[in-house]
Amino acid sequence: MTEPKIDSTISHSARIWNYWLGGKDNYPVDREMGDKILSYVPELVRSARADRYFLSRAVRYLVQEQGIRQFLDIGTGLPTVDNTHEVAQRIAPECRIVYVDNDPLVLVHARALLASSPEGACDYIDADLREPDQIVEKAAATLDFTKPIAIMMLGIMNFIVDADQAQTILGHILGAVPSGSYLSISHPTTEFDAEPAAVALEFWNSSGSAQMCLRSRAELLRFFEGTELVEPGVVSCPRWRPDLAEPGEIVDVMHFCGVARKP
Amino acid sequence: MTHARTVEHAGPTVARMLLGAQLRRMRENAGITREEAGEVIRASGSKISRLELGRTGFKLRDVDDLLSLYGVHDDADRATSIALAQQANAPSWWRTYGDVVPTWFEPYLGMEQAARLIRCFDIQFVPSLLQTPDYARTVIRLALADAARTQVDPRLVLRMRRQEMLHRPDPPQLWAIIDESVLRRSIGGTEIMRGQIRHMIELCQLRHVTIQVLPFTAGGRPAGGGAVTLLRFAEENLPDVVYLEQLTSAVYLDKPAETLPYWKVFNSLAAEAQDPVTSIETMRARLNEL
Repeated sequence: MTEPKIDSTISHSARIWNYWLGGKDNYPVDREMGDKILSYVPELVRSARADRYFLSRAVRYLVQEQGIRQFLDIGTGLPTVDNTHEVAQRIAPECRIVYVDNDPLVLVHARALLASSPEGACDYIDADLREPDQIVEKAAATLDFTKPIAIMMLGIMNFIVDADQAQTILGHILGAVPSGSYLSISHPTTEFDAEPAAVALEFWNSSGSAQMCLRSRAELLRFFEGTELVEPGVVSCPRWRPDLAEPGEIVDVMHFCGVARKP
Repeated sequence: MTHARTVEHAGPTVARMLLGAQLRRMRENAGITREEAGEVIRASGSKISRLELGRTGFKLRDVDDLLSLYGVHDDADRATSIALAQQANAPSWWRTYGDVVPTWFEPYLGMEQAARLIRCFDIQFVPSLLQTPDYARTVIRLALADAARTQVDPRLVLRMRRQEMLHRPDPPQLWAIIDESVLRRSIGGTEIMRGQIRHMIELCQLRHVTIQVLPFTAGGRPAGGGAVTLLRFAEENLPDVVYLEQLTSAVYLDKPAETLPYWKVFNSLAAEAQDPVTSIETMRARLNEL
């Protein structure tokens, strides 16, 4: 018998995220860990949801207003509602999407449940963000790297704790796509409830799960150096081009985001 | 809202499960035991337990009495529960097939039609929802060795009727894992097998149908020894249900502690099985061999 590929004994970020989003794809260890973290930062549930809504709005903006038809979604996470290809293909069925993750549970679910429209294409590749060249090489089977590509990196750069390494990775990936491509990032920050967030982070990092970090808005701005940030720049997720159709008071969350064009 | 849509396709089952879950929460909030609740509606604690699991229909008068006992006096709240109870009592389309639907199978039919996600693992036969009429007829005859021929047709019609949900506008996701032996065991002869495998390859074109083949090379996997089905509902407060069919009865599991091991088994099976694209190639190769 082969080694079990999916570890259900250690809590896992994708499954905790799924729990916070109200999904059912999580184990008791994940819910326990998720609840523990919420006891420090209860607003994370709102933040997780705001991050998903940002994904939808960003994809809509890229397809509808910028004519993007190719997506490289790194750090896919477990399927939920309105996944990247669903939002994109609803507007333009010919969109091509490559999902990248290194979690076997995510890949198994993505391959089974994230099916493309017949006009477009979806591929799911097993790769680590720390090896960006591999991502580009594998994605090239589905995406045309001579045409603009939207790179989606939601809640993933926070797992690259070393700032220099993070810059190098972004440099590699942005270097592989042509002018007119886009980079979208969302990231948990120190801009909101900094103290409890720091305690929660320390707890997370001592729990045996993949190490992660929070960054300031200024640090996030550095990720976008050399690109043209789309209005309104780097902001708390609900402030990024909110839907006029859904009026209501905007409440800031811990996750910040930005979308930028490669000149 | 997905709610209304599901209830409409599902017949009374989801309404029953939702109302049951609602009544359980109300009872627990009121700090009342099942036995105490049972007394008020002239029934046992275990009857309350079955009602709360959505296994049986509700008498409107019982729901009314329970709401009063649980201290629910708001008119709107009461109306919601009563409306659910009315939906819960609506006749379901499979009632027509009453003669061939054993009582232990009926809850499954309702839940299957109501599910958002159906995950199944089969080691011997093609899953019912993916069977062609010819293949299904052969399997039904096998199961009814001594019974009258007249029983075959209504069962076949029921099975085909169940499959219609894959073609409705808001279909559930069907994620089937089949052991390679399913492709190799000859049911009804070469022609029927060819038609069946071709049918599965076609169904894979549907975005909401996924078939993964667990090859012989993957080694063994304990999944209780036989076929397993796991049903997941869109409603946040309805738990997953695991359905294990036996020859003359069935087991339904819905306590998270009982269903979690099956969910884990499904995930490791899916990780060990061929991915959906390779699985289609495997089915094509088998078709060419036949």
